[in-house]
Parts: sequence; C-alpha cells; structure tokens
Amino acid sequence: MFVYEKKLQYPVRIKNPNPAMAKYIITQYGGPDGELGASLRYLSQRYSMPYPEVKAILTDIGVEELGHLEMIGTIVHQLTRNMTVEQVEKAGFQDYFVDHTAGVYAQAAAGWPYDAASFAVKGDVIADLSEDMGADAATRKGQREEIRWDKLTFLLYLKMAILHAESPGGP
Amino acid sequence: MQNNDSCTYKEGPLPSCAPLAVPMVAAQMCAEPAYESGEALAKGTLFPGLDLPFMDYVANGPVEKTPETELMAIDFVCQELALYLDTHPGDQEAFKTWKSVNALAKEARKRYVEMCGPVMRTDTAKFDSWVWPEDPWPWNAGGKAGKK
Repeated sequence: MFVYEKKLQYPVRIKNPNPAMAKYIITQYGGPDGELGASLRYLSQRYSMPYPEVKAILTDIGVEELGHLEMIGTIVHQLTRNMTVEQVEKAGFQDYFVDHTAGVYAQAAAGWPYDAASFAVKGDVIADLSEDMGADAATRKGQREEIRWDKLTFLLYLKMAILHAESPGGP
Repeated sequence: MQNNDSCTYKEGPLPSCAPLAVPMVAAQMCAEPAYESGEALAKGTLFPGLDLPFMDYVANGPVEKTPETELMAIDFVCQELALYLDTHPGDQEAFKTWKSVNALAKEARKRYVEMCGPVMRTDTAKFDSWVWPEDPWPWNAGGKAGKK
C-alpha cells in the first residue's frame, strides 16, 4: 500500500516557461534511465529478493524514486505552463506539443514512449543488484549531460540532489 | 604463444599473479559524520562521505528557508537515515539518532500542517472541512495557483 504526501522531496519553483529545456528534461521522467523506470525496477525486483535488508532497501528506494518522478514531472510542468505559441515554435517543441500539448507524458527525449525494456528483472540477487548499479550510473551520466547544458542553478542543485539521493541508496 | 608469465594451473591464459577479478562497491561503515538537515537537503545527501563532487559541480544550495523547506530538510534526514538502517539494522547508535530525528520531524510536520494545510490525507481530520483538494498542489509552486 502507498500513502501520498502532498509535498515534493525538494523544492521546485520555475517562474518562466522554457520548452527547449522541457524537451530534454522529459527523458528523466519516462526515458530509458528516467525515474519511472528506476522506481519500477526497484519495486519489481524486490519480490524475488531473499534477504530482509534488500527487500527493505529496494522498497524504500523504489518509493523515493516515485518522489523523484514527481519532481521531474513538476519541472516539466513548470517549464511548459503558460508558454506562448512563439515559445513553442522557437524551442522546436511542436513535435511534443501536437501529441501532448502542455501535458506531462512519460517518454524519452527522442519521443519514444516509456518502455519497460529499459530495465531488467531477473529474479537473481547478483544479476538484479548489478543491474541496479549499472542503472544508477546511467542515470547519473544522463543527468550530468543535462547539467552541462543547464544554465540555471536551481536545476543543477536539484539534479545533484537526485544524483546523490540515488547514490547512497544504491545497494 | 608461449608466455613465461602464463598460469600453469589448468594451462589457463592468466599470469600467475593475477587473481580473478572481484567487482566491489565500498560499503558505508557508519552513519557518522552527518550534515545538518538544511545542508543535507541542499547537498542531496546526509553523509559527507557520500557527497561526491560531480563534474566539478558542488551542490551547496542554498535552499531558501521556509516552513516547507524546513519540513523537507528534516524529512530528508529521516529518509537518509532510514536507507542506511535498512542495510545496517544492527546499528543501535544510528537507530537512536533516527528515533530522535523522527520525533523532530513529527513536530515540524504538525507545525507545517497547522500553517499550510494537510500533507497526508489523514491530516485533513484536523480541519473543519474537506480541505485536501485545495491548491496549491506540489507542482503548482510559483504559479497562479501556487500562492501561499
């Protein structure tokens, strides 16, 4: 069972729309190394785990990842709320816009809808925990690329928060 | 090809001095030292030992202090300690710390709910009417519906 908390894990307050940025942030929502996949990975792998400690950490991280999903969803929402037609056109955001307008849809940056093929559940402790570490590294790598383009410090800090929040929890 | 260094055991190709590769991740040994809660939220980790600069970026915040971010900070410490305890359930010292931080978080939450509205749906029982749906929702911050 899950209980919702009506607050984010880390504050997100973006004043001005920036659909150009939303175009690549969206992959952290529903892309191959995004938070949806991270959450499903941990929450699905835990069933076949034989050790209480691992069941606990996968459950608690899997839930925290849902919190990260909400943070990313909030970023995309705030980057696209109140945007003008000119901003959509200038950002080249039309591809996303014709399908989802200013909705938040689980997809990779290149438009591929969320795909569970991006993670593995093997029912084996070593295979699954190794997969988790590889996935964590991939997420860090992807978010690092975004940091490099990102001129806004709030997002940098946010990304760092996510990166670090993931790394200590990594089994 | 003959190589004098090659391992003779079962005529394998490994040099005699090479052990089999053993992948390893350094384990966190204890829950100390720890950042203060606001700093932990800004850095994204409670533990200085896990605060690894990434591409020369150092996360220092600052996170603006509001009742909301104070609750976020204390909840973050609880979460970090909980993850640590999941894999170190025998650490009584860390468990004691978690218990006291958890008590602080409960207090912070109570204050926040009185000031800003329910966090958990069950908090709505402290109000006179069903205020749960009221704006702002977490994603509304800074927008028209996000006035607080």
